[in-house]
Amino acid sequence: MDRRSFILMGASAGLFALISPRYAFASSKLEEEVRKRVGVSLSQIQQSDQISINAPTIAESGANIPVTVESTIPAERVEHLWVFADKNPVPWITDVKITPANGQVYFSTRIKMGETSNVRAIMKLKDGSHIMNFKEVKVTAGGCG
Amino acid sequence: MSVGTGILRVPSNIKKGEVFRVQMVITHPMTPPRRDPQTGQEVPPYTLTKLDLFFNDTLVSTINMGAGVSANPFIAISMVAQDNGVVKIVYEDNRGGKWEKTAELKVS
Repeated sequence: MDRRSFILMGASAGLFALISPRYAFASSKLEEEVRKRVGVSLSQIQQSDQISINAPTIAESGANIPVTVESTIPAERVEHLWVFADKNPVPWITDVKITPANGQVYFSTRIKMGETSNVRAIMKLKDGSHIMNFKEVKVTAGGCG
Repeated sequence: MSVGTGILRVPSNIKKGEVFRVQMVITHPMTPPRRDPQTGQEVPPYTLTKLDLFFNDTLVSTINMGAGVSANPFIAISMVAQDNGVVKIVYEDNRGGKWEKTAELKVS
């Protein structure tokens, strides 16, 4: 590699970091948190329509957003459910252990969100695979603190 | 209401084997860790950490949570009506508080 292309490469990398420092930071934080809590990296998890997330498209207050996670997969085949908000200071919101006594995968709660981002639900199935789905929620006033 | 007071609700009219929803509301501030703007001192978080749902003393679900859940958390979760019995929730926070709440379930 000659000197010119080396400098060009460095400059473009710097420019990219300058344009999206916040996004890069937030997504890596989410990936870190998913790895810590779920045990697999985010890129390995398949998106699936079998999970449905019911949340408002636009939330007036970030302090109180009703989120409902439902699934068509029977509870016997599900082991665990996690809920994440991608850009929160702590992306992990809650996790639920599902047993056959639940009968059906249904979980509803109210969450806080700092800014507009995706609400993400990840499910671990009994066969060891993970699936996820997400929904964007626009937040007009943040609710952290 | 004081911290840790809970309300637990189960439907009054259900058939055996039906799936129903348990609803609960717990009074708790659920504050995240933050810095006091006046003194600059670190204020530790105060949140519920864990909630166990039992039916006749068998564990149905465990819910772990943090400061991402809103103040005075409302939670609804599904459950199978196996028999007459007692639905119980046991919940604790990060300052050693531990409470429980029960509700009677009658099936027809």
